[in-house]
Amino acid sequence: MPDALMLLVALVVTVLGMGWLALSMESHWEQVRGRTTCPPATVKSLRVLGAVALLTSLVLCLMVDSASMASLVWVMSVAGAAVVVAFTLTWRASALAPLVFWTKTQ
Amino acid sequence: MATASISRLNIVSRTLAAVLGGYAFTWGLIAFGMAAMVAADMEFHDAEHLTALIGFLVFLTIFLTAFGARNITRVWAVLLVGASVMAGAATLIKNLIT
Amino acid sequence: MLQNFRQSMAWVHTWFGLALGFVLIVVFFFGSLSVFDREIDRWAIPASRFEPQPMPSFDKLMRPIFEDMQPLPQARAFTEPLVNGPLPEHFDKVRSWGAYTTHRDPVLTMFAGYEVPNAKDPETTIFAQRTVDPRNGAALPDDRLKVGSSFFYPLHYSLTFYWKDVGYWIVGFAALMMLVALVTGVVMHRKIFRELFTFRPKKTTQRSMLDLHNLTGVVALPFHFFFAFTGLVIFAGIYFPIGHTQLKALHDQHEIHEAAETGLPHDPAGVPAKMASVDAMVVEAQRRWAAKGMAGEVGFLQVQHVNDANGYVSIYRAGTDRIALTGEGIHFKASTGAVLREDPPPTAVGRINEFLTGLHLQHFRHWLLRWMYVMGGLLGCACIATGFLFFVEKRKRQHAKQNSSGARIVDALGVTTLTGMLIAALGMLIANRLLPEVMPEGWPLRGDMERYCFWATWVAAMAHAFWRTAPVAEGQLAPAWREQCLAVAVLAVVAPVLNWITTGDHLLRTIGNGYWPVAGADLFMLTGAVLALLAARKLQRRAESKVTVNTPVMEAGHA
Repeated sequence: MPDALMLLVALVVTVLGMGWLALSMESHWEQVRGRTTCPPATVKSLRVLGAVALLTSLVLCLMVDSASMASLVWVMSVAGAAVVVAFTLTWRASALAPLVFWTKTQ
Repeated sequence: MATASISRLNIVSRTLAAVLGGYAFTWGLIAFGMAAMVAADMEFHDAEHLTALIGFLVFLTIFLTAFGARNITRVWAVLLVGASVMAGAATLIKNLIT
Repeated sequence: MLQNFRQSMAWVHTWFGLALGFVLIVVFFFGSLSVFDREIDRWAIPASRFEPQPMPSFDKLMRPIFEDMQPLPQARAFTEPLVNGPLPEHFDKVRSWGAYTTHRDPVLTMFAGYEVPNAKDPETTIFAQRTVDPRNGAALPDDRLKVGSSFFYPLHYSLTFYWKDVGYWIVGFAALMMLVALVTGVVMHRKIFRELFTFRPKKTTQRSMLDLHNLTGVVALPFHFFFAFTGLVIFAGIYFPIGHTQLKALHDQHEIHEAAETGLPHDPAGVPAKMASVDAMVVEAQRRWAAKGMAGEVGFLQVQHVNDANGYVSIYRAGTDRIALTGEGIHFKASTGAVLREDPPPTAVGRINEFLTGLHLQHFRHWLLRWMYVMGGLLGCACIATGFLFFVEKRKRQHAKQNSSGARIVDALGVTTLTGMLIAALGMLIANRLLPEVMPEGWPLRGDMERYCFWATWVAAMAHAFWRTAPVAEGQLAPAWREQCLAVAVLAVVAPVLNWITTGDHLLRTIGNGYWPVAGADLFMLTGAVLALLAARKLQRRAESKVTVNTPVMEAGHA
């Protein structure tokens, strides 16, 4: 896979990861899923998904660049992803619904 | 914010301690660190870089302490005594090894 | 100091953050622009809009240029006070030659250092400088200002205020205050993880400003911390010049020891000698780098003790493939071309230092990471700006009742340092396109005129800011914000259009040719114009709705 494509995938995965982590928080779950409570098992699995996604994107970054560059790219991508997720939650929260497609709606 | 309880003198004293006292202490720390490390056979520029890294972090800590500590007089004492002792020691070591 | 530790830290964050925030926003913004400083140079100097080149032949192209270079009037003026008596017309005793290029530079920068006769300090050196086209040796006119690398970049680390290095000290103190603001901010912000993604623009201005302030501060916290910290580390020699003052004896002792150990003579021999082929030395240096698995181009080349028996040539690699600013220097005896020394791998401390400085100075080749740096820098600007806006929003009604103009002044300074700063930068680029190629007799040089335009535009923006923030003294929104946002939107379109008119390089052509330095700059400005316009429209709507209720004053750090 060419480097640019792999980095793009890494960025997308980071956004997914931050999205999952955000959804594991009650206030953001409610923004996306309406006034339902998130079952504790789902909260846990969302956190795990988030962590795994972030780890995956780090690995992808490391496959493209040397360790020092990859870690910086990854740290910055986490920052950017957090901003993207925050703004999505504010202005189009429903866009994050696909991230929890397997859970029941109200 | 409960600012009514701080006197102007308190603010000035803490600010001076944070900025000038902090600078003096950091200078003393870096000077002492450099002299001691060079005396212990570390390469000069390595000693310079390492003490600078530590120095800035210490300066940051001093700045926060100057405003966080309960007793500013004690902070002043530590900064002034520390700065002079370390700077003095640095010159002493320098004279011994050059 | 106050009731408890958290409150004291909040006090420090508010007041030191406010005071130094005005400096920091300038540092962060021009630092962000500096990531693409050389690309901005391309925009500002159309004659340099060609592809980056490797360093050309020393023997055939660079040597005659070195021999021809003489210090410019600015360098002479700078050196005059350091001399007993007048400066000579022509400087003959050359000490050193240097040439520098990066993977982003089409042009090559060349320096020559000359001895200064009758100088108060015999080690004083006067420098001549020239920028050339590496393909043919043609010199760029001396009066062209590299708006990116010679103005925006030095502005971010020194405010171009060079008298007694005061500008460096102000920026340094601001950097330390950035670290203080980050730590105190974390101490104050109780829900740092829970509110990581929180942004509520529909709530009161205070709440939404604080949300944005926290968001932009926290998500890029490592970035903000590392940039402020590494900035301090890079200029540590200025802030704590211990090696040149209290411990100078140790420094001098080390220099002599190092000269002996490395075999690189500290002083000239006083015996003239001819130089061997430097091109051959470059070939050998590149061969050695490749053999170590670090193949690369020459980034920096220096000749010490020119035309002297003790002369040596140092060749450093352009660091493009890693973060660490490593030189892999190889030193050759100038008269014979023999390798005197290959720099050994750095010590552990050396490696840490190279990584930290390299992280900040960005010589690496990685376009995504560069854009991410710009994003981080702009997030920093947003953090500081929203800090000001929160400060004003929280206090303006109170101040209105108390007949104090504190909030108004802070708001005016906020306009000056945020939109005013953008207007100044754009004004300079527009002046760059509008000024004649060569200034008429009696006028300052073109490069100097561009700098004057920058400052004059900023002063005008400041005057407008102070005039049009009067309503803040009554607890209202200042029209200055909307008006300057509109100005930014207009100027950010005018600049690319002028680029098209004066150079023919419009977006279809630059994107079509893949000449991204200029296309990128134009696109960045046009994007800025759109954002400024959206902001102006939003401010217009807010002013028209005039929802002035008794919004409660918020404690920063509380829910």
